[in-house]
Amino acid sequence: MSAVVAGRPRAAPPAEAYLAALAGLAGMGPRRLGALLEVHGDPAAAWSRVVAGAAAAEPEVAGTLGRDPAARAARWAVQARAVEPEELAARHRAAGVTLLTPWHPAWPARLLDDPEPPAMLCTRGDPAALAGPACALVGTRSCSGEGRRTAHDIGRDLADAGVAVVSGLALGIDGAAHRGALAAGSGAGGPVGVVAGGVDVTYPPSHAALFHQVAAAGALVSEAPLGTPPERWRFPARNRIIAALADVVVVVESHDRGGSMHTVDAAVERGRTVGAVPGPVRSPASAGTNALLADSALVVRDAQDVLVALGLGRAPLSGPAPRVGEPGPPLDGADAAVLDAVGFAPTTTDDVVTAAGVGLGAALTSLHRLAAAGWVDAGPGTWSRRADAPR
Amino acid sequence: MLACIPTASLFGVDADPVTIEVQVHAGLPCTTVVGGPDATCREAKERVRAAFASCGFEWPNKRVTINLSPAWQKKRGSAIDLAMAVGILLASDQLPVGSITGYAFLGELGLDGAVRPVVGVVPLAEAAGGDPLVVPAAQVVDARLATSRVVGVGHLGDLVRALKGEAPWPLPLSPTPPPRPPPRPDLADVRGQAVARAALEVAAAGGHHLLLTGPPGGGKTMLAERLPGLLPPLTPGEALEVTKIHSAAGVLPVGAGLLDEPPYEAPHTTASAVALIGGGSSQLRPGAISLAHRGVLFLDELGEQRPVVLECLRQPLEEGVIRIHRAIGSATLPARFLLVAAMNPCPCGEGGDHRCRCQPVERLRYARRLSAPLLDRFDLRLHVPRADPEQLLGEAGGEPTAAVAARVATARRRAAARGTSVNALVPGSRLDELAPLDRAARRLLAGLLARGGLSARGLHRVRRVALTLADLGGVDPPLTEEHVGTALGLRAELATLQAAS
Repeated sequence: MSAVVAGRPRAAPPAEAYLAALAGLAGMGPRRLGALLEVHGDPAAAWSRVVAGAAAAEPEVAGTLGRDPAARAARWAVQARAVEPEELAARHRAAGVTLLTPWHPAWPARLLDDPEPPAMLCTRGDPAALAGPACALVGTRSCSGEGRRTAHDIGRDLADAGVAVVSGLALGIDGAAHRGALAAGSGAGGPVGVVAGGVDVTYPPSHAALFHQVAAAGALVSEAPLGTPPERWRFPARNRIIAALADVVVVVESHDRGGSMHTVDAAVERGRTVGAVPGPVRSPASAGTNALLADSALVVRDAQDVLVALGLGRAPLSGPAPRVGEPGPPLDGADAAVLDAVGFAPTTTDDVVTAAGVGLGAALTSLHRLAAAGWVDAGPGTWSRRADAPR
Repeated sequence: MLACIPTASLFGVDADPVTIEVQVHAGLPCTTVVGGPDATCREAKERVRAAFASCGFEWPNKRVTINLSPAWQKKRGSAIDLAMAVGILLASDQLPVGSITGYAFLGELGLDGAVRPVVGVVPLAEAAGGDPLVVPAAQVVDARLATSRVVGVGHLGDLVRALKGEAPWPLPLSPTPPPRPPPRPDLADVRGQAVARAALEVAAAGGHHLLLTGPPGGGKTMLAERLPGLLPPLTPGEALEVTKIHSAAGVLPVGAGLLDEPPYEAPHTTASAVALIGGGSSQLRPGAISLAHRGVLFLDELGEQRPVVLECLRQPLEEGVIRIHRAIGSATLPARFLLVAAMNPCPCGEGGDHRCRCQPVERLRYARRLSAPLLDRFDLRLHVPRADPEQLLGEAGGEPTAAVAARVATARRRAAARGTSVNALVPGSRLDELAPLDRAARRLLAGLLARGGLSARGLHRVRRVALTLADLGGVDPPLTEEHVGTALGLRAELATLQAAS
């Protein structure tokens, strides 16, 4: 097949150009794209069908298009007419973004037998980062200080051991895991960021710098082409790719519902090992992870536990070393009494004062000293004890 | 002939003396009001004319020119009605010359000749002077706050008979005291909440602005309402100042007399900038921040207030006054208030709790609606958690307002003995002299500054609060580690309060 553009014969654009154009349409999820490709066999044919506004003509496709398939097909046609696949592919090349397709040599082996694989992966950075052992570190966006530090440390130690940290670059645990991976030494495993929109669309905006760092040290991937806005439905779809690209999925902190639980469902569907970091039983941010542990998820206390699950490390004979910080100066009596009154779950200042049996001023002063020395974390009107506090 | 009658007109929270000049002279019968009258002043002649008819006085069948002198100044309000009526009576020989020497007049006229109360009688009486000053009978009590020789009249006819000597001056109305405001809520109703109570006490003792965050139902409003009760009663000078402002704003009940308790103003979130700050296009009315002068201004839902309104608060917070510039002129209104602000940590109010329905991004955006310079002006910032049910039902009430107010008064006396007003207003340059630190306190703050946990301005604010804590404890400086540590504990980091990751 050849196309004539501006009077000069030219080779037809490669299939990935059509895949990218298709994947960038509003509401084009994996199921719909899968149905289109299944019916038409070839991305170019599917694309011409969409441009013609006849995407809903085949019942196999129409069945995936919701309540009003004709309207959806019409909207796609309008959007598609403004897109030139070859020009879109050229934009990717110019931006140094690789369009990975299943027939590309760098296509991750983990996706070959995936029940719902992405049709293509738009990859910024080094596609080789998708090849080695990988662990997904995910969790809630509203995490505790303890959760953030745990995600950071596990991310750093896994990267040091050469494991790619896969995560979603969201606020909270995701970002902390990636920051940890980036803090690892040289020769570390490159982080893999899986984002919902195009890899050039930073969401959340405050993570713009983190996007660049992850792309520079590892790879930033998305099943949507450049410029795609992160529509709501793309986040759960993104979570399945996180699960698919990892050998082990570890939830660091999660409320009893939320995006991390989608990732866990996707991991279970794909037979991936699911791990969870135990948390205080009364902390809402650990309700989901503790429930996973009750469901016999792998107990993850540190990177070593993950490495054992990956077959990369040996379980220490005498159990893991206790994860406590450096010995600190001994606490004086008043500070020790106040520290005793602070729980690992957030405790209100009033409760600390009552339990410690000291005056308000003395309690606040002790709490300030304890926070400065790394014994406790300050929350809104609350305090919680740090697990990695000095001894 | 010409008559000149002294009266006054309101501007901002003050009034200016005004002389009503009435000339009745030959010409076509016609009445003109000149000299910068607003619509209400222009209508005065119609009210006066109708009142004349009701009382049986004669409207001069000549040309009547009424000038409000000084003519360049805008006059507003109905308080000049009575002076205008007396002027016309005098100029048309219906009152004997010399019968009103020294008199000044304030009052609005009804069409039946009744003399009705006016807005702003306290500042008006102060500006009008007069020996005696004639005011509406119902407002004699209020006018006496500003000037001593006051007589009250209820009707134009009574006034004229008294001026002519035909009848005695009406006896002063036996003042019907206005209903006393309901008693202020007591701090004893607050159960638990040791930290919040301590913060209220410190705020009252040192004049420190207070920011409360927390979920709805935590008792933020309940706490704020109890702060005015902790403040010492107003001095006579302050009380007159506050009464004048309330009078000028037209919110002083007729015959209420002196307001001697610190006022409490809680404007609603939807209040406009003018209602909050003061102003208006035709007149410069004091807003809520001036009504809260020498008292407490409570702004609920700080995050829902419009940013422009909040930025307007910065000048009064800094200088204790608000300067308003409008086409009709500019005025400086007093606004030295203790600000208590409450805000939810996020749009849904639950603040990252497991009940919170907000996206983290929404929480961040909500937190950023308030500028750092504004939030920095709060010396005390704390999170008020929702009280747990056991505490609400089980625990006994706390210390009553009277006990805490006594400590506050003692602490304020200590501060006053140093020759400064409240501690929150101690200039940064005098802190080294007035609030020296002992060795341990210095070490604590030095460590915090070195870690970047405190800005230079934050340091000043912490030292002022620590000084108040020392005053409350009855201890002379140097400030100890506990004073500084407590002050730091009562000024939570913004990042902590907003609980956004």
